[in-house]
Amino acid sequence: MENKRHSELAELSNTSFFRFTKNILINYSALIIFVFLFVFASILSPEFLTIRNLLNILWGISVLGIIAIGQTVLMITGNFDMSVAYIVGLSGITTVMLQIHGASLFLSVAGGLLAGIAVGALNGLIIIFTNANAFLITLGTSSLVYSINLILTHAKTWYATNESFLILGRGKFHGTIHYSVLIFFFMALIIEFILRNTILGRSLFSIGLNIKASKFSGIKVNNIKFGAYLFCGFCAALAGLVMTARTGSTVANAGVGLEFDSLIVSVLGGTSLSGGRGGTLRTIVGILILGLINNLLILLNVQYEAQQIAKGLIFLIVVCADGILDTIRR
Amino acid sequence: MINKIKQTVLQQNVILLFLFLLIFFGITKGNLFLNSRNLQNIARQISFDIPLGMALTSVLIVGGIDLSIGSVMSMAAALTIRFQTHGTYLAVIVALLFGICIGVINGLLVTKGKVVPFIATLGSMTLVKGIMLTYTKQRSFAGIDEDFTFWGDGSLFKIIPTPFIIVFFVALILHIILKYTSFGRDIYAIGGNSEAAFNAGINVDKNKIIAYTISGFLAALSGVLLASRLNSSSTQIGLDSVNWAIASAIIGGARMSGGRGSIFGTLLGVASLGMLNNGMNLVGIQTYYQIGIRALILLTVVISDAISETRVQKTLQLQSYGNRI
Repeated sequence: MENKRHSELAELSNTSFFRFTKNILINYSALIIFVFLFVFASILSPEFLTIRNLLNILWGISVLGIIAIGQTVLMITGNFDMSVAYIVGLSGITTVMLQIHGASLFLSVAGGLLAGIAVGALNGLIIIFTNANAFLITLGTSSLVYSINLILTHAKTWYATNESFLILGRGKFHGTIHYSVLIFFFMALIIEFILRNTILGRSLFSIGLNIKASKFSGIKVNNIKFGAYLFCGFCAALAGLVMTARTGSTVANAGVGLEFDSLIVSVLGGTSLSGGRGGTLRTIVGILILGLINNLLILLNVQYEAQQIAKGLIFLIVVCADGILDTIRR
Repeated sequence: MINKIKQTVLQQNVILLFLFLLIFFGITKGNLFLNSRNLQNIARQISFDIPLGMALTSVLIVGGIDLSIGSVMSMAAALTIRFQTHGTYLAVIVALLFGICIGVINGLLVTKGKVVPFIATLGSMTLVKGIMLTYTKQRSFAGIDEDFTFWGDGSLFKIIPTPFIIVFFVALILHIILKYTSFGRDIYAIGGNSEAAFNAGINVDKNKIIAYTISGFLAALSGVLLASRLNSSSTQIGLDSVNWAIASAIIGGARMSGGRGSIFGTLLGVASLGMLNNGMNLVGIQTYYQIGIRALILLTVVISDAISETRVQKTLQLQSYGNRI
């Protein structure tokens, strides 16, 4: 009798242990890869584990990170935005142009952010009212914004005139950590809190999981979707300001490629493209993986071009593993 | 007969767009637009876009998408030029095989790896771009075989551009495959409803892989032809070709939801965009504004289609309510 109970217990703990590890593997695969890469990098390169280098990694990823926060929120609702790349250019251009024409720091920054929010509003309005495919619409607005960027800049480089504006990109908090990194982490934490602990956050997830059910249960689906597009435009615009402040100048295609990169890091972190799953903390992990790979390859003196291969390979491995794990889960 | 023509014209907005652009630029620019030299120019320019449009059409029909065509195109161009030291036609074969390989990989990722097409091809796009940048070390290369330029830059009987003839025949073959073979019927069925197609005994995975392979092959073909035309390769090739390939396929009647689209429609879509580019240049519109105008056309097509789609769905819903009552 005793013996039998014992074996039952063992079996139970065995299965629960099995389930526990399986859960970790499924839900935190990105985190495992990150830890693995981190240890690997520390062993391989003595320069890696210095404060200076680690801070540099963070500084390098902060622009993409700010965009990815907006993209993640949008992806949780089952939408996404391909126009973020040129919004980055547009907000920088608007700000620099306003400064050149003598606007104050506050006014120019507000103008840049408003420009991004306006594009987000355009995306949101079209997609909500016509029910059209988000990918195609944002692809269209993306070229439209690019065309506006080119018309505004005449395909030339423009330089920011306000010295204090540059602090946003180059300044350091107490001389250690860049403001842009702080903005990125601060925003990610706040959004994660909103996603997990508020009605708004739960509504975002519910829209991503089942839009019809959300509508029937009284969630104002259209308002929230519209808000998500506005927020994504805002994030892209903020990233554009940081990027402009960092280099002190801007061009029409400043952010080209960032639309795909922001999708890649969100998906790497574990946010689902079809909606209903994800979070900004996950996106931080995804973006840290990308930053680590780039940094590691530089420290190992691998040529720049190979970084792209590594990025593509790791991305494909993760999404494949995710697809296969997804079938196991069911 | 007249009724049938009326129906097709109304169903396929692209025919209206094509005729409108033809008449518009024909009237405003007259001989400048409608002379044989300019038409040859348009035909040559769109020859490199047609394979890309058809590539997207074949994957859109099965309800997928292929973002990797731009990278594949530039890698194929690089292979065509750099492999010439081993023989020109060997280089072409290697380049086309590369495209086929990437197509198969995309297909496997989507079917066996269970990855969403958008994500899978986003990954292969990044990967192939990395391979291309590593292979070329971000440099441009010049071809060593002058005769090879005939395929992209030459003309048959001094009238018809050779690349146009090649893509025309490829388009004809693809049209026949999609319209008159069981494979064609199967992929339309898969795009329409893949579960129903599976239950009807169609090998969904195999057909999807073939569709992605066709897409990879056509992207590589476009790269080979462009390399032949320029007699050089550059990392700038294919940078925004995905956008315009998608635009021309969508304008031509394909849908992101799958099950729709045709080679004929895509040809007209590519031709419309090509004519628009050429016409805008003749009229003297700045490049900056041209990008915006093309974007507006894409937006208009997508929006008008979405509106008509919701209207159809609403009518269907009302009908089903009626039946219940």
